[in-house]
Amino acid sequence: MKSMPARVRTRPSKSKKHSVQAIVAALFALLVIAASVYTFLYLKHDPTLTDLRGRLLGASTLHPLGTDHLGRDVLTRLLLGGGQTLGYSLLALGAALVIGIPFGLIAGYKRGWVDKVFMRIADGFLAFPDTIVAIVLSGLLGAGISNLVLAIVIVKWVSYARLVRSTVLSESQKDYIRIARTNGLSDARIMTKHLLPHIAGHVLVLASLDLGKIILLISSLSYIGLGAQPPTPEWGAMLNDSRPYFQSRPELMVYPGLAIVSVVLLANMLGDYLRDRFDVKKEVQP
Amino acid sequence: MILSIEELSIAGRERTIVDNVSLAVREGEFMALVGQSGSGKSLLSQSIGQLLPPNLHASGRIVFEGSNLLERTSKEMRALRGSRISYIFQDYQGAFTPFRSIGGHFDEYQKVHGEKSASVRKTKAAAALESVGLDAALLRRYPFQLSGGQLQRAAIATSLLLSPRLLIADEATTALDSVSGHRVLELLVAKQKETGCAILFITHDWRHVRRYANRLSVMKEGRIVESGGKHRILDHPQHEYTRKLIDAAPVLSRSLKSGLEEETP
Repeated sequence: MKSMPARVRTRPSKSKKHSVQAIVAALFALLVIAASVYTFLYLKHDPTLTDLRGRLLGASTLHPLGTDHLGRDVLTRLLLGGGQTLGYSLLALGAALVIGIPFGLIAGYKRGWVDKVFMRIADGFLAFPDTIVAIVLSGLLGAGISNLVLAIVIVKWVSYARLVRSTVLSESQKDYIRIARTNGLSDARIMTKHLLPHIAGHVLVLASLDLGKIILLISSLSYIGLGAQPPTPEWGAMLNDSRPYFQSRPELMVYPGLAIVSVVLLANMLGDYLRDRFDVKKEVQP
Repeated sequence: MILSIEELSIAGRERTIVDNVSLAVREGEFMALVGQSGSGKSLLSQSIGQLLPPNLHASGRIVFEGSNLLERTSKEMRALRGSRISYIFQDYQGAFTPFRSIGGHFDEYQKVHGEKSASVRKTKAAAALESVGLDAALLRRYPFQLSGGQLQRAAIATSLLLSPRLLIADEATTALDSVSGHRVLELLVAKQKETGCAILFITHDWRHVRRYANRLSVMKEGRIVESGGKHRILDHPQHEYTRKLIDAAPVLSRSLKSGLEEETP
């Protein structure tokens, strides 16, 4: 009775690959964040200062990635744009989580008519594709990154609510929830202390996979002019700005394009790793 | 009389599952409720703690310590559940929230029932575990680190933690082999002697009834068909259904004696 078998964790090789990916991703993310912070704190160049005499310059020690069509330093704009894109993506994701998680938690735990009403509301939101909502909102409220974030939140929270609800539905049938109730714990306490930690893993995985999609969405909507407005440095907007100079200075489009690709990849790698880490099957089997 | 159920009916939208049941549990006794699966005995036990699924409605009276539980608010019921009335179920493996330590459960139950001092909670938790024969060091462990037997004892310890007056054991031994089943019951009876709590034991296993119960009620299709002292019912069943149930009990001989002659007065 006394001896306790240690928990043996055998990982398949696939997840080992993912943990290597995760380390690479984490290092890269740290590098990007450090560079962004550095640029933010020690601005060498004003990212919005136009200098028409120094436009479309090639790489030099003063401008490591050259200047754009208005003579603004590309590296500064690229790094600050990263902060913009990532920051707004995380903001949108966070807001979607804050709305979606309690919504799904209550619907799944209370069941009955509460669940029915909540889920019909969610279905209503699900009916709109994200791009349409973004376009409609910018039509109604004007183009701008805050409206874009709003549009993303409106579309994205539903998937979290649904995920949380379905997990809670199955989980709250289990005996430990029943026993928590028979021992006099309140519904709020059961939801926050006994159910929420269980679903956190699932939500984190979906969120990290979504992060890439949201970054893409913000960039692409900024590219067509619905998101960040000039002169704000934003990757999608930078792509759009450099479009007329693609023939003469293709690298002006390559830089922000590469930045978007790598950050989206990074977010997906992180998602893969987290999915392995929080594998539901592994959690259930001791 | 600690619990008295009077004319209790439990009904869904279409049909009545428990029909006009009356049942009494006396202070400190071991009362068995016997019946086939689907006879409504689990629902009956759930209605005592207002734990019925939302689509079912209970009517009648459930008088516990002098007040009708069906009229209590859900907040008042929360305060009762776990402290005055507690439950034991058959699944010990899933009795604890997987990502919380055993001690965390003990601590939380005491906290929600008003024990403010952390050191008192800790001492009580350790004492509760030791009283069921477990090491207090297990408090720091997680559910998956305990063996089935340890979980079983720990689950019983949580139910008895706040010295309830009524312990409802809903098929508590059904999933266990007969040796473990008897061990759990021995433990329950020993704790009952210590604390004087009443036990409402819901089962379909006659062997346990014969060995441990003081009184029993037989339930069939939502009605109580026969109630009385153990010896009376086992030796002289009045109702046809009780006779059938006793005949169907898995024993080698065709009769199942109450064991009256084996007992020392």
